[in-house]
Amino acid sequence: MRTSHLLADLQARGLLPPAQTQAIADDERTRPMSLHQELRAALYLGIMLLTGGLGTLLYQHLDDIGHGAVIGAMALLMLASFGYAWRHRQPFTWGQANIPSFVPDYALLLGCLLFLALETYVQTVFSVFGSRYGLATLLPAVLFLALAYRLDHRGVLAMGLTALGAWVGVSVAPLSVFTANALFTSRLGIAGVLLGLALTGAGLYAEFTRRKPHFAFTYISLGANVALLAATAVLFNYYPQPWLPKWVAVLLVLLMSAGLVWYARHTRSYLFLLMGTVYGYIALTYSFIRLLDFSNGDEGGLLVSFYFMLSTAGVILLFMRSKEFLRRV
Amino acid sequence: MKVKAYPLLWTTQEAMEAAAPRWFRRQLLTDAQYQAIRAAYQPDFYRPGLLLRIGLVLFTCVGVAGAAAFLALFGAAARLEDFRLLGWAVALGCLGTQEVIIREFRHYRSGTDSALLYIGLFVLALLLAEAADHLLPSGTTYASGFGSPHYALLLLPMLGLLLLATLRYADRLVAAATYLVLLALLANWLLQLSIGRLLLPFALMLMAVAVYQILQRWRQRPDYLYYRACLIVLEVLALATFYLAGNYYVVREGNAEISGLYQSVQVPLAPLFYLFTAIIPLVYITVGLRKRSRLWLLTGLAAVAFSLFTLRYYRSVLPPEMAAVLAGTFLLVLAVWAARYLRPARHGLTALADADQPTSFNLESLVVAQTAQAPTAPTPGFEFGGGHSGGGGADGSY
Repeated sequence: MRTSHLLADLQARGLLPPAQTQAIADDERTRPMSLHQELRAALYLGIMLLTGGLGTLLYQHLDDIGHGAVIGAMALLMLASFGYAWRHRQPFTWGQANIPSFVPDYALLLGCLLFLALETYVQTVFSVFGSRYGLATLLPAVLFLALAYRLDHRGVLAMGLTALGAWVGVSVAPLSVFTANALFTSRLGIAGVLLGLALTGAGLYAEFTRRKPHFAFTYISLGANVALLAATAVLFNYYPQPWLPKWVAVLLVLLMSAGLVWYARHTRSYLFLLMGTVYGYIALTYSFIRLLDFSNGDEGGLLVSFYFMLSTAGVILLFMRSKEFLRRV
Repeated sequence: MKVKAYPLLWTTQEAMEAAAPRWFRRQLLTDAQYQAIRAAYQPDFYRPGLLLRIGLVLFTCVGVAGAAAFLALFGAAARLEDFRLLGWAVALGCLGTQEVIIREFRHYRSGTDSALLYIGLFVLALLLAEAADHLLPSGTTYASGFGSPHYALLLLPMLGLLLLATLRYADRLVAAATYLVLLALLANWLLQLSIGRLLLPFALMLMAVAVYQILQRWRQRPDYLYYRACLIVLEVLALATFYLAGNYYVVREGNAEISGLYQSVQVPLAPLFYLFTAIIPLVYITVGLRKRSRLWLLTGLAAVAFSLFTLRYYRSVLPPEMAAVLAGTFLLVLAVWAARYLRPARHGLTALADADQPTSFNLESLVVAQTAQAPTAPTPGFEFGGGHSGGGGADGSY
């Protein structure tokens, strides 16, 4: 329907001969619909349901099923998944592997999730790691990161990074940084900043040495977000953090925001431009209001409302120029 | 003043920007033709990607709040403390600024103009509600139940306002709000009749069909492209209304809600609603696959999910973890089978990636990071395996 309007317009302007117009219309009518994304989503949902259900089953029947049978069955399933993914592996490359089918990708994901369920189960029943919980969370991190690099899988990389975060004691998952770390009362502070900076550094390394440059997005989006959120949370924390005074946090946020904007120009990424602008704006506004003198009543309020009007107009103008701004490097 | 706020040319440019590269990739255009089309339809408006639009909405809201505070402080200094006056100033200011931004800065649903439109309409709606409240006889409020005739006093002017805004700006959110107000008006009118409660589901389904028919006719209009985004949203809403109005859960719980019952009870004609709940999603999916319409297909899949929820809400067929394992296995097998079966395109469907759809691998890694997390280290002293887990409804017999 949309096509017929466009084609009529093209023909009216004399940009297309009628025969070709007909060919395009035919192609639009007969072109098969791609269910690629839907099937991927179905696979992922299936994997999450299966592993979630299996994990709960294990937990509920800790005492009444034979341990050997359960572990055996799950281990077999896990090995089958890993084996399938491994059999379809591509030769190792620092670039992006060219993967013909997406099924092995999800087999690998299934194997990794089963590994987590199995590890939890084994730890629960046999206390294999004793009280060395650090080891229990570091093991999946190392395994997942290794698999992510060898089999070139960004999802498993992200799982490895969340496991790494768990080892440090910080949740790096995109949304749970707001909830799990209890943003404004947390001791997220310095651990989050350091982990975030390390991940951002790893992302920059990947980008600039061209070693898995397509991993850089995952590293930097997770890392920069954790570091910036941790530093921003310090600003609004009532109790001062001994390791991170507020002016250091402001400086850190401003520096990282500038870095993100620079990186956004390098990769032409609107996401990083937006992240850098929002965090930088928060830090600047915070400093501005802290520096203001509210002693003579209304004038402070007028100044603040004026500041918001002008600064947001400025940001909107920057965004309007973003296309040229990102292209200039 | 023209009815449409944006030039029609922009919509053509936008649609061509999406379509021409696809035709070029499929080798339906020669290189020279493609370049000529690109030159002829060079977009001369400002509409950034989704992320920047979200940013623009955020910053526009902050800016408007700043401006409103500025006005309020200014008014307070001049001893003008009428909130209605401030409301009119903000609403008209927003809508006026929006017009200027569209004309001078060539914003085309860029986030800034949309946010200004939403704020302006929202404040106008508040002012309308306040005015309607004044017209009511003293002592009556809206709180006298949904079936009260006074609601129309608020809903009718709202419908008019939203309809005008939709026709002028063709905004998706405003269109959806218009549709919902229309539904509310119909429901409100029916509930004043004695037989209305029984008729309500069928009336809503009929209205969804009628709206869908009107939308189909709208597609024939020459300015269809201008309203295309709105029509897609409204089609989804019409399909959703048709399904939800016949869904057993919605009918039963809605009935209890209207009657003010704490516990929902069996509704009349229950078998019919069971049937609707079971059949409609399958029909949607079948139509989606046969017509190759992603809109029908995805709505149908969402409807299946809601039908399963309805089933599980009233009948506990399996314990949740068993259901999860079985459903997960079923989905896995189905998806793997479909991926292999549709490798060459069959029946007009294919499992191969479509070059038109943006690959969302980057997003996928964020989704995985969000949903598939490693267990966190428990604090020392925590004992595993004691109580029962949050299995959701499973009775822990520990």
